[in-house]
Amino acid sequence: MARYRYAYFPGCVALGSAREVQDAMDGLAQILDIEMVALKGAACCGAGVMKQANWELQIALNARTFAQAEAQGLDVLTPCASCQGNMSEDFARLTEDADLRERVNEQLESIAGIRFEGTMKMRHLLHVLVEDIGLEEVAAKLKNPIDFPVAGYYGAPMQQDGACGEDDVYDPQYFEQLIEVLGGTAINYDGRTQSVGFPGLLAEEGSALKMTASVLSDAKSEGARVMASACPLSHINLDTYQVKAGRVSGMDTDIPVIHLPELVAWALGHDKGRLAYLKTRVLVMGD
Amino acid sequence: MASVVVWIDEGCIVCDACEETYPEVFHVTEDTCFIKAESRTDGNFDTNETSKSAVTDGIDFEILVEAAEGCPVDVIMVEQVGGDSPAEEPEEVAVEIAAAAGAVAESEAQVSSAAEVSMDGDRSLLILFGSQSGNSEDLCAKMGKSASTYGLEATVKGMDELQIGELAGQKRVLIVCSTWGEGDMPDNAEDLWVAANGDAAPSLAGTHFSVLSLGDTSYEFFCQSGIDWDVWFEKQGANRVVPRVDCDVDYDEMANGWVAEALPHIAAVDGDGVYQEDAVEALKAKAVGGKSVVAAGSAFDLPDLERAELQVNIQVFRYDPVSGESGHDVWACAMPGNLSVTEALRLLKATEDGSLTFRDGSPDDATTGLLVNGRLILPGRCAIADLATSRKGDFSLRIDPLPGYDVIRDLVVDHSDYQTHLSASKPWMRGATRSATQLQQGIMGTMEAPLAATLHIAGDFPSHQLLHSASDTTPHNRQYVGPAVLARLWARCNDSRLSPAGRTSHLAVVQGENGIKAEADMSSINRQGRMGAIAGLALLEAKTATLVADGFTGRHGKHVWWFTETVKFSGQLNETTLAGATLGPFGMAKNALTGILPRMALGFTRNGAPMMRDLQAMFMPPGSVGKMPKIINSKVDDHHEIVALYNAFDRRF
Repeated sequence: MARYRYAYFPGCVALGSAREVQDAMDGLAQILDIEMVALKGAACCGAGVMKQANWELQIALNARTFAQAEAQGLDVLTPCASCQGNMSEDFARLTEDADLRERVNEQLESIAGIRFEGTMKMRHLLHVLVEDIGLEEVAAKLKNPIDFPVAGYYGAPMQQDGACGEDDVYDPQYFEQLIEVLGGTAINYDGRTQSVGFPGLLAEEGSALKMTASVLSDAKSEGARVMASACPLSHINLDTYQVKAGRVSGMDTDIPVIHLPELVAWALGHDKGRLAYLKTRVLVMGD
Repeated sequence: MASVVVWIDEGCIVCDACEETYPEVFHVTEDTCFIKAESRTDGNFDTNETSKSAVTDGIDFEILVEAAEGCPVDVIMVEQVGGDSPAEEPEEVAVEIAAAAGAVAESEAQVSSAAEVSMDGDRSLLILFGSQSGNSEDLCAKMGKSASTYGLEATVKGMDELQIGELAGQKRVLIVCSTWGEGDMPDNAEDLWVAANGDAAPSLAGTHFSVLSLGDTSYEFFCQSGIDWDVWFEKQGANRVVPRVDCDVDYDEMANGWVAEALPHIAAVDGDGVYQEDAVEALKAKAVGGKSVVAAGSAFDLPDLERAELQVNIQVFRYDPVSGESGHDVWACAMPGNLSVTEALRLLKATEDGSLTFRDGSPDDATTGLLVNGRLILPGRCAIADLATSRKGDFSLRIDPLPGYDVIRDLVVDHSDYQTHLSASKPWMRGATRSATQLQQGIMGTMEAPLAATLHIAGDFPSHQLLHSASDTTPHNRQYVGPAVLARLWARCNDSRLSPAGRTSHLAVVQGENGIKAEADMSSINRQGRMGAIAGLALLEAKTATLVADGFTGRHGKHVWWFTETVKFSGQLNETTLAGATLGPFGMAKNALTGILPRMALGFTRNGAPMMRDLQAMFMPPGSVGKMPKIINSKVDDHHEIVALYNAFDRRF
């Protein structure tokens, strides 16, 4: 049996437009001896969007996921900060509101034969690496040091009470500690916990792009050569919409943006080719 | 022989509980409680607060105590006076009281003794860390903060920050060291370890120490570095005050246990370098609060508001409107931890830089808000010790002006963005004509208590200017009216006293293009503590109501509708369907022209993947390779359960 076991919730994007997240998760799990037990049939977390239509519906879907994990006696591991934030909010609501919990459990029992009891915890990969596995152990597995300045992006959804583990909600340090352990230079910048407006990307594109540009430009002006995102959803703004964000805002936004699992997996020896390409991009091609 | 006195303090709520418990002694009047004449030796009939007359022999002490304990406002006072033994009856209760009193006295004596040890002479403590990944460093930083509780002045240093000779003459040293690889010293400890084993190694007679060792039991040389330092200190003549503790990867519990022992023991080394072991227990009692802990039964003990002095680097944003220059000034200060941020700024202005500009005011002044270490606060309400964060052993406070506003000078911002939106929204109450109720005070409108409480909570923010700043959207969309105005208007919309015309007017702002729809991400608001949670909930309700009122049309409506719809269809979000339905053909074409679709197709090359992945993305429709999302999602397992939940909770989808 693996040393660390979690019920695994990849999030929709890791199975869609950001499958590189899944590749990296598979790699780092193997290196760090993590067993990611599949949550078969788990639904989308709602991503801060579904609750705008009906929060109770979103809570019911997430309660089903929680109950599936509880049935296996496992905490839920996710590589997505938006999933972590949303699901932690819903978990808190379910544990605080007994009436809501009963309404949801009544349906869950009749539909799926399971109940939410509140015994599991939501865990983001970052918190698992720092709190469960420990930075010393991660450091011991380091093979390819990330020898350039990296800006860690936490995003806003995960930086709430109850969603960010034991890290500081407002002035977090886990990501920076991890980057240093992986051999990089951690960039401390204001934008690391600011929103890039993903939930409004399609409907309020102007604001979302300016928010995105502000974060990228801030990291770059503080000396970052690469950004690593703890949130695959925010990564869409930070990477795919990067040029457009720069054009709309007039800011300098050109910087490679990778995912947190990629940063860790590559440093631990998974997919050396990707790291080499990235280093070429950073060190030879520059911006 | 002790006598017993019972009296009533001010504050009786005439609940009758005491009279029901012991009617022979207590008599509840209209406004207080009296001690009956027949139960008192002086024969008077009053609260007995002034004369403190003893009770007569027949009064049962145990029932008196029971009545006192049952008093909901704790105004019944029972005291034993004179004699050195408790009343014969009831022994058990009397002994408990005597024991508690003894404990208080003993604790006070210990605290007094501890205070003598703590405050005399040299109280320096050197905390050394040997760290590879930062765990030891973090532990030392926290320990350094706690050391002042024991009257110690801690200096936290990495092992690469001192020469071996500097250890000579240190009275108190605590070491936290991890082990790297196969029993090796961590990088920052290597040089010191080499020096320690060289010719220049000092004698440490007179030094007191203890070691915490971090390691991993899966390695052969578990905690070897810590063991090496422990042996070395002893060999050099130092006195070990607490045995070394070796921790595995889950070190928190063991490390905390070691800190709880090591600090009071090392603090028991007095100014002359003599280890006063007898003082350890007293120091522990002092650290956990001494008397107040022993006497925890009293709900009226005031907490000690004074906090230990904090060595802190204060970074303050500076902006000169004349030159247009901006940046941060840094001051390294030692300040009492209980100082509020406002008081700290006043001190800096008075002693360091008279040109420092900030908005001063009372602690509750809503216009004084600042951003301190990433959190939005009213600076008069927050102590610096509660805000300072530790990074690499240094405590720091970074003070910035509120985001989302133009800066006038240094920390002073122009709130006119918020004020303009507020006044334009016409937020005042336009009352409705409604039915009233005949009350004792006359004819008055009434409201159900739950609704009144909800409305009260909905507006319970320390500062609307602060709340306006909580949204990460406001700095980038100045037309957006902001969360503070919206939360206020939404609360009004739910107020039954508002007239239909007033409600229409407020809803027009809330549901307009610059209203709630303009908020790009509510999570930035939700994360701002209680204020954010209350506002976030109100704004979510407002957004839902707005989307329903719009019939889920327009980009906002379609976005939310199709997101929810695609999840029902397969259990997973379908990004392609969502983008297509929200943006429409024109929007998708625009995305292609503005480079979004090419960036998705070429995503791997941009971040360092082989070109082959891009070619796959380009030439292997229908997507699902490269960074192109799938066009059609396959259904998740047990998908029928998801559909059933939709049917149970929302049949619109």
